Amino acid sequence: MPCQPPRGLCVPFPKLLCLTVIQTTGRLAYRHLLEWARRARLELVDIRVTGPKAFRDVQVDESNMLLWHGFIVPDNPPYNKGAFRIEINFPAEYPFKPPKIHFKTKIYHPNIDEKGQVCLPIISAENWKPATKTDQVIQALVALVNDPEPEHPLRADLAEEYIKDRKKFMKNAEEFTKKHSERRPPE
Amino acid sequence: MSSDEGDSDMEYSDDDCGYADYYNTVDDCDIDQVDPSKSDPEYFLFECLLVEDVERLLNENVETLSSNLQITPSLAKVLLHTHGWAVQDVISKYQLDASLLLVQSRIKPPHPPSHTTTSSACGSQSSLVSKDGLEDDENQSNCPVCITASNAEVFSGLACGHKFCKDCWSMHFEVQIIQGISTGICCMAQQCDIYAPEDFVLTLLSKPSLRDKYQQFAFHDYVKSHPQLRFCPGPNCPVVIYAKEPKAKRSVCSKCKSSFCFKCGMDYHAPTDCSTIKKWLTKCADDSETANYISAHTKDCPRCHICIEKNGGCNHMQCYSCKHEFCWMCLGDWKAHGSEYYECSRYKENPNIAHESVHAQAREALKKYLHYYERWENHSKSLKLEEQTLQTIKSRINQKVMDASGTWIDWQYLLEAAMLLAKCRYSLQYTYPYAYYMEPSSRKELFEYQQAQLEAEIENLSWKVERAETTDRGDLENQMDIAEKRRTTLLKDFLEV
Repeated sequence: MPCQPPRGLCVPFPKLLCLTVIQTTGRLAYRHLLEWARRARLELVDIRVTGPKAFRDVQVDESNMLLWHGFIVPDNPPYNKGAFRIEINFPAEYPFKPPKIHFKTKIYHPNIDEKGQVCLPIISAENWKPATKTDQVIQALVALVNDPEPEHPLRADLAEEYIKDRKKFMKNAEEFTKKHSERRPPE
Repeated sequence: MSSDEGDSDMEYSDDDCGYADYYNTVDDCDIDQVDPSKSDPEYFLFECLLVEDVERLLNENVETLSSNLQITPSLAKVLLHTHGWAVQDVISKYQLDASLLLVQSRIKPPHPPSHTTTSSACGSQSSLVSKDGLEDDENQSNCPVCITASNAEVFSGLACGHKFCKDCWSMHFEVQIIQGISTGICCMAQQCDIYAPEDFVLTLLSKPSLRDKYQQFAFHDYVKSHPQLRFCPGPNCPVVIYAKEPKAKRSVCSKCKSSFCFKCGMDYHAPTDCSTIKKWLTKCADDSETANYISAHTKDCPRCHICIEKNGGCNHMQCYSCKHEFCWMCLGDWKAHGSEYYECSRYKENPNIAHESVHAQAREALKKYLHYYERWENHSKSLKLEEQTLQTIKSRINQKVMDASGTWIDWQYLLEAAMLLAKCRYSLQYTYPYAYYMEPSSRKELFEYQQAQLEAEIENLSWKVERAETTDRGDLENQMDIAEKRRTTLLKDFLEV
């Protein structure tokens, strides 16, 4: 399947949508709606305590509980000298629809485009499973950042460079990381 | 079923698109004994069904399978849907290895679930699950989706053993159905692709409107997965076409009169096959800039250079000013086309192209494409123009009947000629994509020879139809016969059945 950038922008879901969910689910599920919303909160606690080391400094947006900020701290060169700020956006229908991830720090990577959109199969609409945990999503994301997958690129030019001229790619990516990435937060 | 064909032909014998078929049927009656499936390369049996008929047909299949294998109808539906509704095929596969069939149809997991608890089942499948606080002490009644403890009786799951609470299932189904997904709904566990069968979905869905939607979407999926069925592509048309032997042949909807290829649902495209016509149409859409360049309607007369607008379908042009007769396609003298050989449908490839530069090759490729595109587009325009001719003929016939110069029946041959012309030109139009994708070979030479012959006869016919009242009736009917024979010969040789 060719890799497409995620559809739509990462904006907080309007309140109206929450209402629609309530309307379509009826009273029985309304009780549950709070529990589903609770899940993201529980997952946050969990990630802060036992989550992957490569995802640090996780914060919840002050104005929107369903928007998280955090840093991806890769282990592998050429990205191991910096940190990359990401945003995780949970839709109102979470966990029945996947969260969306955006890179806020520029990164030289075949699977992440200039707008910060990332192609991650685990959170694509077709592959998403309600039982998938954010923790698993983060692990998949970290693995993708550490080891690019040029066979389904978002940026074809970088994928080509990655395959054909690894040295040049590493050099460019390292310089790019030095220039644009953020300071690595302590563990 | 052949009587059905006859009936449907009779039904629209008095309207535009059915008339050509009517003409054909008459032809067939003369040679009663000949099997039409052999003599007519375009012969195709089909039925127009309504939703209820299709439901009955599908249900018959489901019942046969469920009674044969002693399984629930909803499991039978999953099996049929994943196997293109080949009942016998499913039965024989089931008898061979029932377990393998169920695994392949994503009804049963490849490895039987070792524990009934959701959390451990998840953990064994995915190494990604870390020990986290969410699944504390493997509590059987903790739903992994909402992370809420509930009594064991509100949990349910599929053959894979992943259990979730009823509310989560119900919400999962609702979100999926709102996105238009029905037969494709799967288990909620990470990396588990076991299908949720219809009965499972329907018992857990609470809202009636969503149940209807689910059934509607599922019906749509079933028809799409059934090789013998195709939705009529006409706008808002509920008809489903049924063909016992599905082929890339013309089917006509009895309700909205849409005419299309049964196999791909696009406009009928003989002698070109479905994948080639798709490639061609995409290419034409991509190259719309060049198409714009071509779509100029006017050309200058090669002799007196007066600007001529092509207002009829015929390529045999005659300048109003100097009476010069020439070919619209190549602007050559019409007489030079001769009666036996028509060369201007053939593209002459540069034999030394392999030795030329990349630039020259690109130019040659564009030139080749433009050659075929121009002819494709030209015939499509001619078809539209000849539709106007048809209207003129109709009103002329009425006028003649009113003036008492002959009866209505006397003049029907004019209409028949115009219908046949449209049919022939339509086929001719679709020979160009076919030729474009053909590798240079003796078969291509034969094809282009036949194409040229057909082209010449069609232009002759078009010329005569446009001047029908001054042409001798016998002459015109002779020309009709020749053109149709050329068309069937070409289709017989090149339409892959």
